[in-house]
Amino acid sequence: MGAVRLPSPRGTFRVWQRNATIFRKYWKTALLPNLFEPLLYLAALGLGLGAFIQSGGVGGQSYVQYIAPGLLASNAMFAASFESTFNTYVKMKIERVYDAIVTTPVNVEDVVAAEYLWAGTRAALYGTGFLSVLAVLGVVFDEPLVRSVWAVFIPPTLLLIGVMFSVTGTLFTSLIDRIDLYAYYFTLVVTPLFLFSGIFFPITDFPAPVPQIAWFTPLYHAVNACRELATGPSLGVLADVAWMLVFTAALFLLPIHFMRKRLIS
Amino acid sequence: MNRGREGIAEPRSRARVSSIVARGLKKSYESFEAVKGVDFEVYRGECFGFLGPNGAGKTTTMKMIYGAAIPTDGELTVAGLDITREERAVKRRIGVVAQENNLDEDLKVKENLLVYGRYYDMPRKETLRRAEELLEFVELTEKADAEVEHLSGGMKRRLLIARALINDPEIVVLDEPTTGLDPQARHLVWERLRELTSEGKTLILTTHYMEEAAQLCDRLVVMEGGRIIALGSPDELVEEHVSPEVLELRAAPDAMGDLLPLLEDHSDAVERAGNALLAYTADAGALQERVRNAGVSVDNMLYRRAGLEDVFMRLTGRRLID
Repeated sequence: MGAVRLPSPRGTFRVWQRNATIFRKYWKTALLPNLFEPLLYLAALGLGLGAFIQSGGVGGQSYVQYIAPGLLASNAMFAASFESTFNTYVKMKIERVYDAIVTTPVNVEDVVAAEYLWAGTRAALYGTGFLSVLAVLGVVFDEPLVRSVWAVFIPPTLLLIGVMFSVTGTLFTSLIDRIDLYAYYFTLVVTPLFLFSGIFFPITDFPAPVPQIAWFTPLYHAVNACRELATGPSLGVLADVAWMLVFTAALFLLPIHFMRKRLIS
Repeated sequence: MNRGREGIAEPRSRARVSSIVARGLKKSYESFEAVKGVDFEVYRGECFGFLGPNGAGKTTTMKMIYGAAIPTDGELTVAGLDITREERAVKRRIGVVAQENNLDEDLKVKENLLVYGRYYDMPRKETLRRAEELLEFVELTEKADAEVEHLSGGMKRRLLIARALINDPEIVVLDEPTTGLDPQARHLVWERLRELTSEGKTLILTTHYMEEAAQLCDRLVVMEGGRIIALGSPDELVEEHVSPEVLELRAAPDAMGDLLPLLEDHSDAVERAGNALLAYTADAGALQERVRNAGVSVDNMLYRRAGLEDVFMRLTGRRLID
């Protein structure tokens, strides 16, 4: 119903700015758990499980080296997913923040686009923190976890990954009317992606159609891109980034449409 | 008041500029029609009220004015602009106090105003200056750095009003601005709203309180079931719809039989609400005398001038509507 509504950069920036204003107050406390979590995976799986994986690791890398870049990608997915699910839901239904904003010259489409961008920003900020920790750990333990200068492109990639998962998270948010339904989103979407996107084992070695299915899922490409950039990329990284751009662009307007229906009667 | 012959030279004859014009405005949802075609015109600089029971369509009408509901049919011009075609431009010129408190709880009191100013692309310095002025205006200067959740209900409402004024709007839309406030808080809000009209702003508000409508509104409409059923100034409405005075009586149920015909014979209209009777007449004092002389036993009797509440009850029925 109605014409396609494209967000205005001005309104989008204003709402992004609101989130940044609030984030500035508590970024330190928000950042810590987001650094600890991937470190826990790195310790438990990389060191613990990694000890049982035959020497030689995966594709010539130690197991810790193998999983570290993938965890960067999944960390961005989790950051953006929480932002676009619980946080967005609370702002929309409980605090009624959006109702107030859309009475100003800022429209619903701007609000939704700003939330995408904000989730991406958060994912990139957290990811940059985690990336720095990985770089330092690599030096300290003399086992480089980030081996290529191309890694400087990881933060912008995490921004894209964050926006991509914000679009899917917001899509779910725009369709549900009870906060406990997020259990489905996390159990049926986020967790399977986390486990089967090639973070912990190479998915391409599985028989058909497993690799083919993986190709159609977003985190698979996010993990590929991060791993390539951390180790020195091949041209394949462009295909992964392109896949993510197309996926994001294809779904971009859908949550805007549904959110508009919820906020404007 | 000074309406009528000698009033003609006053504001009425001046060419009035319309701030809001609605023609055949309708809004339907899947299951019901909330607004069934209303026409009204709000003049610049006046305070225009919407009275009506819950579910009458007041809030839906307000939402259409500030772009939170899209009209199904009809025309709506706000500040000279078509709301459906130029919603951003309209929203730039109005201020909105919605029915629910939707302050940004993640931001402190003054931050609420500063962040809101950014939505209008106001320069930082101007926003800061205006925020300080507005906090002064709503008497919240001392609370500038307080968390919103620590404010009382009255303070939150005042902050909502300040926030609605940050862009110096020409039209302010207020949906039940004083519902749930204690009398002191309500009077403070009224005072501020009166100051706004004296500054030349156009106010459009909904209310359940007749006193509020009588105190603030230059003109008002009464809505019921999605339609406008009366329009006028508070005095005009009283004059048009009820007799100037009311005699209120309470009597035991068995006395009603004697009382009712007596009242009906000597007044313009009689209404019954429980064991109370209201008789509308030009001279309630005379009617009171008549009741006394008739020797009917009455528990309690008082006479007063008719007001908006009587109009409201007459028009929307003496019943509990929720």
